[in-house]
Amino acid sequence: MLAAPIPFNDPERLAALRELLILDTPPEARYDKIVQFARDEFDVPIALLSLVDANRQWFKSKVGLDVCETDRSISFCGHAILQDDLFIIPDTLADERFADNPLVTGFPHIRFYAGAPLIMPSGYALGTLCLIDSKPREVDFTDMAILATLRDLLLQELLPPTEARHG
Amino acid sequence: MAELLSGSLNMLLVEPETLLRRTVSLTARTLGLGQIHEAASPEAAQRLLRSLPFHGAVIAINCQGPTDCPYDLTLLDQIRAGESASPANLPVAVLAENATSQLLRELNQRNIDRLILKPFRARLLLDAFAAFEALNPAQKSGK
Repeated sequence: MLAAPIPFNDPERLAALRELLILDTPPEARYDKIVQFARDEFDVPIALLSLVDANRQWFKSKVGLDVCETDRSISFCGHAILQDDLFIIPDTLADERFADNPLVTGFPHIRFYAGAPLIMPSGYALGTLCLIDSKPREVDFTDMAILATLRDLLLQELLPPTEARHG
Repeated sequence: MAELLSGSLNMLLVEPETLLRRTVSLTARTLGLGQIHEAASPEAAQRLLRSLPFHGAVIAINCQGPTDCPYDLTLLDQIRAGESASPANLPVAVLAENATSQLLRELNQRNIDRLILKPFRARLLLDAFAAFEALNPAQKSGK
Protein backbone atom coordinates (compact mmCIF):
# COMPACT_ATOMS: atom_id res chain seq x y z
CA MET A 1 0.00 0.00 0.00
CA LEU A 2 1.14 3.49 -0.79
CA ALA A 3 0.40 5.76 2.17
CA ALA A 4 -1.26 9.06 1.32
CA PRO A 5 1.62 11.42 0.46
CA ILE A 6 2.01 14.66 2.39
CA PRO A 7 2.11 17.70 0.09
CA PHE A 8 5.09 20.03 0.50
CA ASN A 9 2.79 22.88 1.51
CA ASP A 10 0.84 20.89 4.09
CA PRO A 11 1.34 23.34 7.00
CA GLU A 12 -0.11 26.20 4.94
CA ARG A 13 -2.87 23.91 3.60
CA LEU A 14 -3.82 22.90 7.14
CA ALA A 15 -3.84 26.55 8.22
CA ALA A 16 -6.26 27.33 5.39
CA LEU A 17 -8.45 24.42 6.45
CA ARG A 18 -8.54 25.52 10.08
CA GLU A 19 -9.37 29.09 9.08
CA LEU A 20 -12.71 27.79 7.86
CA LEU A 21 -13.58 26.73 11.44
CA ILE A 22 -15.43 23.74 10.01
CA LEU A 23 -13.63 20.73 11.52
CA ASP A 24 -15.71 18.77 14.04
CA THR A 25 -18.79 20.91 13.48
CA PRO A 26 -22.26 19.33 13.19
CA PRO A 27 -23.74 18.26 9.85
CA GLU A 28 -25.26 21.05 7.76
CA ALA A 29 -28.11 20.66 5.32
CA ARG A 30 -26.45 22.77 2.62
CA TYR A 31 -23.57 20.26 2.37
CA ASP A 32 -25.65 17.16 3.00
CA LYS A 33 -28.02 18.06 0.17
CA ILE A 34 -25.22 18.13 -2.40
CA VAL A 35 -23.56 14.95 -1.11
CA GLN A 36 -26.90 13.11 -1.11
CA PHE A 37 -27.53 14.36 -4.65
CA ALA A 38 -24.12 12.98 -5.69
CA ARG A 39 -24.91 9.58 -4.24
CA ASP A 40 -28.29 9.45 -5.95
CA GLU A 41 -26.96 10.75 -9.26
CA PHE A 42 -24.22 8.13 -9.48
CA ASP A 43 -26.11 5.38 -7.65
CA VAL A 44 -23.19 4.58 -5.37
CA PRO A 45 -23.51 3.30 -1.80
CA ILE A 46 -21.26 6.00 -0.28
CA ALA A 47 -20.68 9.70 -0.97
CA LEU A 48 -18.61 11.94 1.28
CA LEU A 49 -17.45 15.49 1.82
CA SER A 50 -14.05 14.66 3.26
CA LEU A 51 -11.65 17.21 4.75
CA VAL A 52 -8.03 16.11 5.08
CA ASP A 53 -6.67 17.11 8.49
CA ALA A 54 -3.13 16.56 9.78
CA ASN A 55 -3.58 12.92 10.77
CA ARG A 56 -7.11 12.07 9.70
CA GLN A 57 -9.74 12.63 7.07
CA TRP A 58 -12.89 13.95 8.69
CA PHE A 59 -16.28 13.81 7.02
CA LYS A 60 -18.28 17.01 7.15
CA SER A 61 -21.00 15.22 5.24
CA LYS A 62 -21.46 11.50 4.78
CA VAL A 63 -24.10 9.41 3.10
CA GLY A 64 -23.93 5.63 3.40
CA LEU A 65 -21.09 5.52 5.95
CA ASP A 66 -21.40 5.60 9.73
CA VAL A 67 -17.87 6.55 10.75
CA CYS A 68 -16.92 10.22 11.05
CA GLU A 69 -13.19 9.94 10.27
CA THR A 70 -10.41 7.59 9.21
CA ASP A 71 -6.64 7.72 9.43
CA ARG A 72 -5.12 10.02 6.81
CA SER A 73 -2.39 7.57 5.83
CA ILE A 74 -4.88 5.03 4.49
CA SER A 75 -7.25 7.60 2.99
CA PHE A 76 -7.91 7.79 -0.73
CA CYS A 77 -8.77 11.46 -0.35
CA GLY A 78 -5.25 12.05 0.95
CA HIS A 79 -4.09 11.05 -2.54
CA ALA A 80 -6.82 13.00 -4.31
CA ILE A 81 -5.83 16.34 -2.77
CA LEU A 82 -2.51 16.13 -4.60
CA GLN A 83 -4.24 16.05 -7.98
CA ASP A 84 -5.09 19.01 -10.18
CA ASP A 85 -8.31 17.34 -11.26
CA LEU A 86 -10.45 14.30 -10.52
CA PHE A 87 -8.78 11.23 -9.02
CA ILE A 88 -10.40 8.05 -10.30
CA ILE A 89 -9.59 4.47 -9.28
CA PRO A 90 -11.88 2.22 -11.38
CA ASP A 91 -10.80 -0.98 -9.58
CA THR A 92 -8.72 -0.81 -6.43
CA LEU A 93 -7.72 -4.46 -6.67
CA ALA A 94 -6.04 -3.74 -10.00
CA ASP A 95 -4.07 -0.83 -8.54
CA GLU A 96 -1.00 -1.73 -6.50
CA ARG A 97 -1.21 1.54 -4.55
CA PHE A 98 -4.54 0.47 -3.06
CA ALA A 99 -5.00 -3.30 -3.45
CA ASP A 100 -3.89 -4.04 0.13
CA ASN A 101 -5.26 -0.85 1.68
CA PRO A 102 -7.25 -1.68 4.85
CA LEU A 103 -10.24 0.21 3.42
CA VAL A 104 -10.12 -2.18 0.46
CA THR A 105 -9.36 -5.44 2.26
CA GLY A 106 -11.79 -4.57 5.07
CA PHE A 107 -14.81 -2.35 5.67
CA PRO A 108 -16.07 -0.54 3.61
CA HIS A 109 -14.40 -2.75 0.96
CA ILE A 110 -13.71 0.02 -1.53
CA ARG A 111 -13.42 -1.21 -5.13
CA PHE A 112 -14.20 2.07 -6.90
CA TYR A 113 -13.19 5.57 -5.86
CA ALA A 114 -13.74 8.93 -7.53
CA GLY A 115 -12.61 12.06 -5.72
CA ALA A 116 -12.93 15.67 -6.82
CA PRO A 117 -10.43 17.82 -4.92
CA LEU A 118 -11.81 20.89 -3.19
CA ILE A 119 -9.22 23.42 -4.31
CA MET A 120 -9.69 26.84 -2.77
CA PRO A 121 -8.87 30.08 -4.64
CA SER A 122 -5.64 30.13 -2.59
CA GLY A 123 -4.63 26.92 -4.37
CA TYR A 124 -4.83 24.69 -1.30
CA ALA A 125 -6.79 21.46 -1.67
CA LEU A 126 -8.63 21.00 1.60
CA GLY A 127 -10.48 17.79 0.88
CA THR A 128 -12.72 16.13 -1.65
CA LEU A 129 -16.20 15.32 -2.75
CA CYS A 130 -15.85 11.60 -3.27
CA LEU A 131 -17.86 8.62 -4.45
CA ILE A 132 -17.22 5.07 -3.26
CA ASP A 133 -18.56 1.77 -4.51
CA SER A 134 -17.92 -1.80 -3.46
CA LYS A 135 -17.93 -2.80 -7.14
CA PRO A 136 -15.52 -1.73 -9.88
CA ARG A 137 -16.90 1.01 -12.12
CA GLU A 138 -15.99 3.03 -15.17
CA VAL A 139 -16.80 6.71 -15.57
CA ASP A 140 -17.08 8.71 -18.77
CA PHE A 141 -16.56 12.37 -19.55
CA THR A 142 -20.14 13.30 -18.69
CA ASP A 143 -19.88 11.58 -15.29
CA MET A 144 -16.68 13.46 -14.57
CA ALA A 145 -18.24 16.76 -15.62
CA ILE A 146 -21.22 16.19 -13.30
CA LEU A 147 -18.95 15.30 -10.38
CA ALA A 148 -16.83 18.39 -11.04
CA THR A 149 -19.96 20.55 -11.07
CA LEU A 150 -21.11 19.17 -7.72
CA ARG A 151 -17.65 19.78 -6.33
CA ASP A 152 -17.82 23.38 -7.56
CA LEU A 153 -21.19 23.83 -5.85
CA LEU A 154 -19.70 22.52 -2.61
CA LEU A 155 -16.78 24.91 -2.96
CA GLN A 156 -19.21 27.82 -3.26
CA GLU A 157 -20.70 26.74 0.06
CA LEU A 158 -17.29 26.35 1.71
CA LEU A 159 -15.99 29.74 0.67
CA PRO A 160 -16.62 32.79 2.82
CA PRO A 161 -19.44 34.85 1.21
CA THR A 162 -17.12 37.52 -0.18
CA GLU A 163 -14.84 34.98 -1.87
CA ALA A 164 -17.78 32.96 -3.19
CA ARG A 165 -19.20 36.05 -4.92
CA HIS A 166 -15.94 36.75 -6.70
CA GLY A 167 -14.88 33.12 -7.19
CA MET B 1 -32.27 39.24 -20.55
CA ALA B 2 -29.67 36.99 -22.08
CA GLU B 3 -28.96 37.60 -25.75
CA LEU B 4 -28.79 34.85 -28.31
CA LEU B 5 -25.20 33.80 -28.67
CA SER B 6 -23.92 33.32 -32.17
CA GLY B 7 -23.20 29.64 -32.78
CA SER B 8 -24.60 28.65 -29.38
CA LEU B 9 -27.80 26.65 -29.07
CA ASN B 10 -30.36 28.00 -26.66
CA MET B 11 -32.00 25.40 -24.48
CA LEU B 12 -34.71 25.82 -21.89
CA LEU B 13 -34.82 23.92 -18.60
CA VAL B 14 -37.96 24.25 -16.51
CA GLU B 15 -37.39 22.53 -13.17
CA PRO B 16 -38.28 23.72 -9.66
CA GLU B 17 -35.47 21.88 -7.85
CA THR B 18 -32.55 24.31 -7.70
CA LEU B 19 -29.74 21.80 -7.21
CA LEU B 20 -30.78 19.66 -10.17
CA ARG B 21 -31.29 22.72 -12.34
CA ARG B 22 -27.92 24.25 -11.47
CA THR B 23 -26.09 20.95 -11.86
CA VAL B 24 -27.50 20.39 -15.33
CA SER B 25 -26.96 23.97 -16.42
CA LEU B 26 -23.35 24.20 -15.24
CA THR B 27 -22.43 20.74 -16.53
CA ALA B 28 -23.98 21.48 -19.92
CA ARG B 29 -21.73 24.50 -20.15
CA THR B 30 -18.69 22.32 -19.42
CA LEU B 31 -19.80 19.82 -22.06
CA GLY B 32 -20.48 22.54 -24.64
CA LEU B 33 -24.16 21.63 -24.93
CA GLY B 34 -25.27 25.16 -25.70
CA GLN B 35 -26.63 27.70 -23.29
CA ILE B 36 -29.19 26.42 -20.81
CA HIS B 37 -31.70 29.05 -19.73
CA GLU B 38 -33.15 28.12 -16.36
CA ALA B 39 -36.71 28.62 -15.17
CA ALA B 40 -37.85 27.55 -11.72
CA SER B 41 -41.55 27.93 -12.47
CA PRO B 42 -43.96 27.83 -15.42
CA GLU B 43 -44.40 31.59 -15.08
CA ALA B 44 -40.68 32.20 -15.44
CA ALA B 45 -40.62 29.78 -18.37
CA GLN B 46 -43.42 31.65 -20.11
CA ARG B 47 -41.44 34.87 -19.91
CA LEU B 48 -38.38 33.18 -21.43
CA LEU B 49 -40.43 31.46 -24.13
CA ARG B 50 -41.94 34.77 -25.19
CA SER B 51 -38.59 36.53 -25.44
CA LEU B 52 -36.17 33.91 -26.84
CA PRO B 53 -36.27 31.31 -29.59
CA PHE B 54 -35.07 27.94 -28.27
CA HIS B 55 -33.64 24.86 -29.96
CA GLY B 56 -34.94 22.43 -27.35
CA ALA B 57 -36.64 22.34 -23.97
CA VAL B 58 -36.77 20.04 -20.95
CA ILE B 59 -39.89 20.84 -18.97
CA ALA B 60 -40.99 19.48 -15.58
CA ILE B 61 -44.75 19.25 -15.42
CA ASN B 62 -46.48 19.53 -12.07
CA CYS B 63 -49.55 17.89 -10.69
CA GLN B 64 -52.40 20.38 -10.47
CA GLY B 65 -54.11 18.82 -7.49
CA PRO B 66 -53.90 16.05 -4.91
CA THR B 67 -56.48 13.78 -6.56
CA ASP B 68 -55.78 11.81 -9.72
CA CYS B 69 -52.79 14.10 -10.30
CA PRO B 70 -53.82 15.81 -13.53
CA TYR B 71 -50.70 17.40 -14.97
CA ASP B 72 -50.52 21.04 -15.99
CA LEU B 73 -49.74 20.95 -19.72
CA THR B 74 -50.27 24.66 -20.34
CA LEU B 75 -46.67 25.33 -21.31
CA LEU B 76 -46.66 22.48 -23.80
CA ASP B 77 -49.91 23.70 -25.32
CA GLN B 78 -48.56 27.23 -25.68
CA ILE B 79 -45.44 25.98 -27.45
CA ARG B 80 -47.36 23.70 -29.82
CA ALA B 81 -49.86 26.49 -30.57
CA GLY B 82 -46.99 28.71 -31.68
CA GLU B 83 -47.51 31.08 -28.76
CA SER B 84 -43.79 31.51 -28.15
CA ALA B 85 -40.73 32.79 -29.95
CA SER B 86 -39.75 29.20 -30.79
CA PRO B 87 -41.05 27.05 -33.64
CA ALA B 88 -44.22 25.14 -32.75
CA ASN B 89 -42.40 21.87 -33.38
CA LEU B 90 -39.70 22.67 -30.80
CA PRO B 91 -38.14 19.41 -29.51
CA VAL B 92 -39.40 18.92 -25.96
CA ALA B 93 -38.65 16.39 -23.24
CA VAL B 94 -40.96 16.20 -20.24
CA LEU B 95 -40.15 15.37 -16.61
CA ALA B 96 -42.99 13.77 -14.68
CA GLU B 97 -43.44 11.99 -11.37
CA ASN B 98 -45.05 8.97 -13.01
CA ALA B 99 -46.59 7.89 -16.27
CA THR B 100 -50.28 7.16 -16.50
CA SER B 101 -51.87 5.98 -19.71
CA GLN B 102 -53.73 9.28 -19.83
CA LEU B 103 -50.51 11.26 -19.54
CA LEU B 104 -48.83 9.19 -22.24
CA ARG B 105 -51.80 9.84 -24.53
CA GLU B 106 -51.72 13.57 -23.80
CA LEU B 107 -47.98 13.77 -24.46
CA ASN B 108 -48.30 11.77 -27.64
CA GLN B 109 -50.96 14.18 -28.89
CA ARG B 110 -48.50 17.01 -28.27
CA ASN B 111 -45.63 15.29 -30.10
CA ILE B 112 -43.39 15.16 -27.05
CA ASP B 113 -40.04 13.64 -27.95
CA ARG B 114 -39.06 12.13 -24.63
CA LEU B 115 -40.54 11.41 -21.19
CA ILE B 116 -38.21 11.28 -18.18
CA LEU B 117 -39.62 9.78 -14.98
CA LYS B 118 -38.45 10.12 -11.38
CA PRO B 119 -35.82 9.77 -10.06
CA PHE B 120 -34.57 12.65 -12.19
CA ARG B 121 -30.86 12.37 -12.79
CA ALA B 122 -28.75 15.16 -14.21
CA ARG B 123 -27.29 12.63 -16.61
CA LEU B 124 -30.67 11.92 -18.23
CA LEU B 125 -31.42 15.61 -18.67
CA LEU B 126 -28.00 16.18 -20.22
CA ASP B 127 -28.63 13.28 -22.59
CA ALA B 128 -31.87 14.98 -23.65
CA PHE B 129 -30.08 18.25 -24.35
CA ALA B 130 -27.36 16.38 -26.26
CA ALA B 131 -30.08 14.79 -28.42
CA PHE B 132 -31.54 18.23 -29.14
CA GLU B 133 -28.10 19.47 -30.08
CA ALA B 134 -27.74 16.60 -32.54
CA LEU B 135 -30.93 17.81 -34.24
CA ASN B 136 -29.35 21.23 -34.83
CA PRO B 137 -25.86 20.61 -36.21
CA ALA B 138 -25.88 23.70 -38.47
CA GLN B 139 -26.70 26.12 -35.67
CA LYS B 140 -24.19 24.45 -33.38
CA SER B 141 -21.40 25.05 -35.85
CA GLY B 142 -22.53 28.64 -36.31
CA LYS B 143 -23.37 28.18 -39.99
